[in-house]
Amino acid sequence: MHLLLVGISHRTAPVELRERIDFQARGIAEALQSLASRGSTREAVVVSTCNRAEVYVACDEANATRNDLVRFVSEFNGVSSSDIAPHVYGVTDLDVARHLFRVAGGLDSLVMGEPQILGQVKDAHTIASETRSSGPVLNRLFHSSFAVGKRVRTETGLGSGAVSVSYAAVALARKIFGDLGGRSVAVVGAGEMGKLTALHMKSQAVRHVTIVSRTMAHAARTAEAIGGASAAPWEELDGVLSASDIVITATGAARPILTKAHIEAVMRPRRNRPLFIIDIAMPRDVEAAAGEIEQVFLYNIDDLQATVRENLARRASEVTRAEAIVNEEVEKFGGWFRSRGAIPTVVALRERFDAIRRSELERLDFKLSALPPEARARVDEITHLIVEKLLLTPTEQLKSLDNSEAVSTYTEALTRLFALTNQPGDEQSDRDRAAKGGRVEPFKRPTGRR
Amino acid sequence: MNIVPLTLYACALVAYAWHFAQRNSVVGRSATTLLVAAALSHTFVIGMQTMEVGHVPVAGATSAISTFVWLLALSYLYVEMTTDERAMGVFILPLLVALQTIPALRPGVEDRAAVLQGPLFGVHVSSLLFAYASFALACVIGITYVLLFKEIKAKHLGFFYARLPSLQVLDRMNQRAIVIGWIFLTIGMIVGAIWAAQARGGYAGDPRVQAISLEDPKIFVAVLCWFVYSFELFAARRIGWGGRRAAYLSALGFLIVLFNFVPITYFFTKSHNF
Repeated sequence: MHLLLVGISHRTAPVELRERIDFQARGIAEALQSLASRGSTREAVVVSTCNRAEVYVACDEANATRNDLVRFVSEFNGVSSSDIAPHVYGVTDLDVARHLFRVAGGLDSLVMGEPQILGQVKDAHTIASETRSSGPVLNRLFHSSFAVGKRVRTETGLGSGAVSVSYAAVALARKIFGDLGGRSVAVVGAGEMGKLTALHMKSQAVRHVTIVSRTMAHAARTAEAIGGASAAPWEELDGVLSASDIVITATGAARPILTKAHIEAVMRPRRNRPLFIIDIAMPRDVEAAAGEIEQVFLYNIDDLQATVRENLARRASEVTRAEAIVNEEVEKFGGWFRSRGAIPTVVALRERFDAIRRSELERLDFKLSALPPEARARVDEITHLIVEKLLLTPTEQLKSLDNSEAVSTYTEALTRLFALTNQPGDEQSDRDRAAKGGRVEPFKRPTGRR
Repeated sequence: MNIVPLTLYACALVAYAWHFAQRNSVVGRSATTLLVAAALSHTFVIGMQTMEVGHVPVAGATSAISTFVWLLALSYLYVEMTTDERAMGVFILPLLVALQTIPALRPGVEDRAAVLQGPLFGVHVSSLLFAYASFALACVIGITYVLLFKEIKAKHLGFFYARLPSLQVLDRMNQRAIVIGWIFLTIGMIVGAIWAAQARGGYAGDPRVQAISLEDPKIFVAVLCWFVYSFELFAARRIGWGGRRAAYLSALGFLIVLFNFVPITYFFTKSHNF
């Protein structure tokens, strides 16, 4: 059994191509169904986000399946193979695990450490398990990746700190005021920038947003566009500022409209309640000296960009720690994955033993025929138990092997020692047997295989 | 016997510091567990001493410090559990460890003078110890407030920004701790005055009872404390001295408390050295 991954991402493909390969839009469940009908895979999970489209499968033949998967991706999305081929990456076995773990940990994301990807990976696995297209191998793989995502988030600072200006502003407001629920926001200036920022603040569930503009009509129009905001004329600016906790200035004025003295006057009736001023205008609307006033926190667009840059740098420095977690988990998963190499041999060994048991019982059938049916059943049961007991320890030992060299040594020795003719990979028969409860009826049934 | 809680407090300090630096949740939980263990063993020690001498050991300076450490540990644990904030631990634990070394070095319980028997004295000491524990918390919260405030003001969002709760939360916790402390400080001082008046009647010959007056350093500094905290509460509500100024005042207030609690008690007071 092999693991195989075929996909494209923001690292390998331009956005035009990523847009065309969109499993999400065409239906992931349908994709999984169509993939299963091709018969080249045993298990499959499709991860599809705006930055990546990846097909994870478990299969018997890695090379042939890889080509088939590329064909599948192109056929399902209606894009010619030659368009896709140069951008596709394909990896196998533990490299698949490493890739998925890095994806789930946010290490492969466009914005390093962004948290959404873990949820998207979880959703992808949920769909696959609902449609029964993922099985024991991919289930294990994906559950391990969830653990990696969680560890990276809790043990490293990879996901911490806002990495866009508007989030940095909201994060700062939260650090000053705690909950933003009861806070009032004033937006000075009714331009596009002011409107966007006001919308962003509104989405943070603040109590109230007031727009102040030199032209009352502009303010009213912007307030209406935002919805749930109110407009105030320029003459009421001081009153609005006094009543607000967060002030965003975004006018097109050539000179500062709020001086230090002006803000000092505004602060007096507030009894020094903190005031957070975000100056996103260029040139600036607020005199820099206003930041010296006690309980006034003044940030302009450059300051916010600087904190974003700092956060990005801090995230980058956490990469090593996150990669260490990925390595650790790949190692763990690798142990489990390699031990699975022995499973076909275990199955063959057990079948071999059971075949011998049955053929002996058949051979002695004439001697036992005088026995009542219950006694015959008992003989069957006892012989079965003996075989089980004999195989218990070897089975456990084989399953606990976690390096591939040992697995192949043992497999070879057992194959030779017990002349295991029906060899690896045939888990179908294993499943059939399991469905029958792993037991044979007393004597004389057709011997399934040898 | 006080060495066991001291060791556990020290271990908890290391764990809190480690947690603060690395933000590893497992380490954080271990830190809390260690502190709970320390507080439990400390409870046991104080319980044993109570059984041994027949009263809660708060009369002597050393045992009062031990009880204070115990109350502070419990108050801090209460704050941590209600706010789910561990960041303050690294600031409060050094104080616990430093103060707990005093009872660890001077084991045993001082004898209680006859004049100190009676419920009024118990109320006096326990409410003051509780007030001091609240002020200690307020001080630590105030210090963290200032650290975070400076980072935000300087536009350099770094170490504390990532680790501390918001300024608003810190300010509110600080105010609450001061209000609680002020109430108990007031109760403790009033009850103390009533007790002193009674003691003058019964034990007038005792020089320590005679020394009870505003001129005694311990009493004078306690009154000073009361004025500092009263001013803080008034200023925060009436003249908008919230935030950083309140934080500085709470640090100043606790420095006075600490000065009163250790050096004055051991070396200067004439009235409170029972």
